[in-house]
Amino acid sequence: MPLKIDVKDLNLFYGDKQALFNVSLGFPEFQTTALMGPSGCGKSSLLRCLNRLNDIIPNVHIQGKVLLDKEDIYAPSLDVVELRTHVGMVFQKPNPFPHSIYENVAYGPRIHTLFKDKTELDEIVEKNLARAGLWDEVKDRLHQPATRLSGGQQQRLCIARAIAVNPEVILMDEPCSALDPIATARVEELIDELRERFTIVIVTHNLQQAARVSQQTAFFHSGHLVEAGETGALFTMPQDERTQGYITGRYG
Amino acid sequence: MTSSLKTRRRKEKWFRRMGFLSLCLALLFLGGILGKIVYTGYPAFFRTEVAAQAERPDLLNVHARYFLKENKKWITASDDVDMYYKHEVVGNLTPHQIQAIDSLKNQGQIRLVFNTGFFTHSDSREPELAGIWGGLIGSLLTLFVTFCTAFPIGIGTALYLEEFAPKNRFTNWVEANINNLAAVPSILFGLLGLVFFIHFLGLPRPSALVGGLTLGLMSLPVIVVATRAALSSVPPTLKEAALGLGATPLQVLFHHVVPMAMPGIMTGVILSLARALGETAPLLMIGMVAFIATPPSTFLDPTTVLPVQIFNWSRSSEMGFVENTSGAILVLLIVLAILNGIAIFIRKKFES
Repeated sequence: MPLKIDVKDLNLFYGDKQALFNVSLGFPEFQTTALMGPSGCGKSSLLRCLNRLNDIIPNVHIQGKVLLDKEDIYAPSLDVVELRTHVGMVFQKPNPFPHSIYENVAYGPRIHTLFKDKTELDEIVEKNLARAGLWDEVKDRLHQPATRLSGGQQQRLCIARAIAVNPEVILMDEPCSALDPIATARVEELIDELRERFTIVIVTHNLQQAARVSQQTAFFHSGHLVEAGETGALFTMPQDERTQGYITGRYG
Repeated sequence: MTSSLKTRRRKEKWFRRMGFLSLCLALLFLGGILGKIVYTGYPAFFRTEVAAQAERPDLLNVHARYFLKENKKWITASDDVDMYYKHEVVGNLTPHQIQAIDSLKNQGQIRLVFNTGFFTHSDSREPELAGIWGGLIGSLLTLFVTFCTAFPIGIGTALYLEEFAPKNRFTNWVEANINNLAAVPSILFGLLGLVFFIHFLGLPRPSALVGGLTLGLMSLPVIVVATRAALSSVPPTLKEAALGLGATPLQVLFHHVVPMAMPGIMTGVILSLARALGETAPLLMIGMVAFIATPPSTFLDPTTVLPVQIFNWSRSSEMGFVENTSGAILVLLIVLAILNGIAIFIRKKFES
């Protein structure tokens, strides 16, 4: 399986504080990679390096390389706005815009003018809501405020919004941590379906979730990548003592 | 344990009582002030008229005869008569004059009517003829200049500082100064206006332009602070969502941040304009204290504003002006209430 994203010797600093130490990790195309580890281990920081959302935090600087399709996304010639159309993101807390359901999905296509006329935009909105498994639930109330949806529906709307700009990679930052178990199950099913079209990176501190949705898992501890590998193997035969401790619930 | 619970409960009870007492006191003061102003000011909205009669209407031309229907015409009385008729204050009237007024009263030749002149006339040395029209127009022109300068500059400054400016020593220093400027006594802005706009730029002295620019300087820091507060209250998760979709920082700003901050921004702007509308001290510094009997027709004409006119009237000793002062205060309060009402309306409208 070719690597969609390749992180090489990445060091990340918030001011003087180093948050990631020499991380090297490949993300295979059309697979789900779970980043796992205790709070503050740097997994979210790594995720935010992949679409350069860390740029908006003052005093962040980075050493090393992040290659997307063999191109360095930190190269000076790269346009960060364009990068983010290729690498979409879903956040920890559902964060729909305070507009209608329709406008939430239509926003990305609108700013990138991915359509010719209103009919085509309608189609884009329907297609992506359907992909996110939300179409049947909201088709009669597309023009109602998105904030009136339940938490799980809002998160699926955010996924629909992210995939509406046709990204190649979707980053998910603990997408289920604010959801109840049923909504979580829906989102997890969705992640599994989306894998056919997108490369997915998901941050989670829920072990079962990592085991359920991912093909590859990477375990982080205090800014270091402890070990990474095929999910089944990592859970059954962890090589490192710290991974074993985390998996068996001795800490974390 | 139980005894400590008792003490805590007692403390809470006391705290609530003190709060309620403060509220009562505040209402008492407010009611007292408003009551006094309304009581003193409402007669200003009425004026006394005396019927003037022609001795030989048959000698007049046709128009004049038509004009003098029933052989009489109602004419505004002098302020002494006005005061006597409204409040039975004798003032400078001679016993003979008082007798005459009483006999007019008995014959129905003297009456009280709504004082339209109070709203349509400009300032005058005679209280019965003085009105607020000039001050009202002056206030509107001045406020327009204030809005046109303080609104775009204030919002632009706030947007830049909040969203684009690098966080370094210089911007920190600018921020601290803006916050301090918002608390500077307004008369200092008057001094600044005097030195800069009048002495340095040589703009005409008591004009709406200079007044508006000076009040604009005064409103700027308040608008900047209010706008920045509104901008920073927009949840960062929304900005991240838009950035994550590939929106440029400018698109994030104008598609999401500004619309969400709009109620707060508009409230801040309108409240600072309301403050500018009621401001007197800085305008006195730039010479807007002069007596001006004609309403301004351009931004460069000699202008007076409502609060300055109130200030001028309050220095007159005639009873008529005491009444006019309170009447003008009522009008100013109503205008301010309307502005605040608009602020509330806009906030509600943007919030829904």
